[in-house]
Amino acid sequence: MSAVSVHQLSQCITCHAWSPDHSMIALCPNNNEVHIYKMSEDKWERAHVLQKHDQIVSGIDWGSTSNKIVTVSHDRNSYVWSLEGSEWVPTLVILRLNRAALCTQWSPQENKFAVGSGAKTVCICYYEQENNWWVSKLIRKRHNSSVTSVSWHPNNILLATTSTDGKCRVFSTFIKGVDKRDSKASSSSEAKFGEQIVQLDLSYSWAFGVKWSPSGNTLAYVGHNSMIYFVDDVGPSPLAQNVALRNLPLRDVLFISEKVVIGVGYDCNPMVFAADESGIWSFVRFLVETKTVSSAPTYGSQFSEAFGKFYGQSKYGASNDGMDNSRQGGVHHNCINCILPLKEPGVASVRRFSTSGLDGKVVIWHLGNQEDLLR
Amino acid sequence: MASTLRLYSTCIRNTLEAAMCLQNFPCQEVERHNKPEVELKTSPELILNPVLICRNEAEKCLIETSINSLRISLKVKQADELENILTKKFLRFLSMRAEAFQVLRRKPVPGYDISFLITNYHCEDMQKGKLIDFIIQFMEDIDKEISELKMSVNTRGRLVAAEFLKQFI
Repeated sequence: MSAVSVHQLSQCITCHAWSPDHSMIALCPNNNEVHIYKMSEDKWERAHVLQKHDQIVSGIDWGSTSNKIVTVSHDRNSYVWSLEGSEWVPTLVILRLNRAALCTQWSPQENKFAVGSGAKTVCICYYEQENNWWVSKLIRKRHNSSVTSVSWHPNNILLATTSTDGKCRVFSTFIKGVDKRDSKASSSSEAKFGEQIVQLDLSYSWAFGVKWSPSGNTLAYVGHNSMIYFVDDVGPSPLAQNVALRNLPLRDVLFISEKVVIGVGYDCNPMVFAADESGIWSFVRFLVETKTVSSAPTYGSQFSEAFGKFYGQSKYGASNDGMDNSRQGGVHHNCINCILPLKEPGVASVRRFSTSGLDGKVVIWHLGNQEDLLR
Repeated sequence: MASTLRLYSTCIRNTLEAAMCLQNFPCQEVERHNKPEVELKTSPELILNPVLICRNEAEKCLIETSINSLRISLKVKQADELENILTKKFLRFLSMRAEAFQVLRRKPVPGYDISFLITNYHCEDMQKGKLIDFIIQFMEDIDKEISELKMSVNTRGRLVAAEFLKQFI
């Protein structure tokens, strides 16, 4: 059993991000604001509220070296917030989007960030010193549907995207003046901006949650058809593996190490996947041990009583009836949609990570005594 | 008879548990809007294949899912003309008060008697398990209610006719 600490910070959390020292968390409580909570004496206090967006904030990322927060929203805007004194000051980002922005991530060197949008485009933004704003270059006409998730390769040039057309694509995002051509790297440095390196058409349903392994050799993403895909040697001849799940689909994944992946989704319980020595990936177990409860609630109520029960209980049932009606008896009671690592400096593999979900909880998991996962 | 009802509702329950995996998704066609994609049907990649579960020729259930919304349409068993009228009036009564039920659709999908529209906002506010319990309970109780109504109509008709004809004895 992994040690957990559960924090109920809101009624429903869209996404979250940690500060570089993990003392503060920025999250969106399913509205147009970003709340920053600070941990002080075992309690969470709301330190700042960032209010600039008009619609729900769909993506937040906190740069660990630059200490800047990037937020994107369904109102087609994005802001980069920097801490000046004790206030967070927004900097304008020229995104040139005509539909909602869905996801965002800082590049490993934090000189660029990527935004996936419902306009079927990906914006790569970099800072322009002369005008004090962030400008974007768009990757257009490559996606057939909304881009749901983006992930940077450790070399700061390659970007993987997933889309609701079921495909995962890898692009080169080399920008002259921002990136330096690496004479050692072979294929990625020849590619121009927006050039598609590889397109993976493995899922026949929507694809979410793409992530690179720490070395950048393996790519993992999930499909809504309850499958998770692992691709090794991304390049001209990739090796793909599918793992089919017997449960509800996943939403996001995280690489703990080169060989272990944690997936989270509609089951409200993180799932562990591992690769054995020959490189074959498979499902290991759920993180929270579940007792199989046969849920056949015996309702003897009349029709009108059923309405009253639904209206009176279901709306507020999350807090009181959580234990006996939650199918898994796990920690989260609603879909988990975001998983982030809590990296300790100097340690290669991830020992702690956090998940947030639609039940408004942020749960910090600790893999301290799971020796088989920390190989 | 009761066993087929159990099988029918178990099948619907399992399908709903798989289908009710909804997420917030802004409209791809219109900026700054958020519409239930199952009603809009403008982007075919966002809609999944509909599932039709039939208990017999008279009773069926159509479940259509999309990325942010789910539509469940039920056709209730109507054995004779009287049940036909009673079902129509009763379900129309409920549909007109759709705001109170939140997940009910004001008009049933053509070909069906009553429809539910569940969006990602409902899944965020309410528990998925309870939503599914409500739909199944609704389905099971509709039959009971309609037969109770039919029985009370018949009983009243009999009493009224008996009273009326007493004056001719």
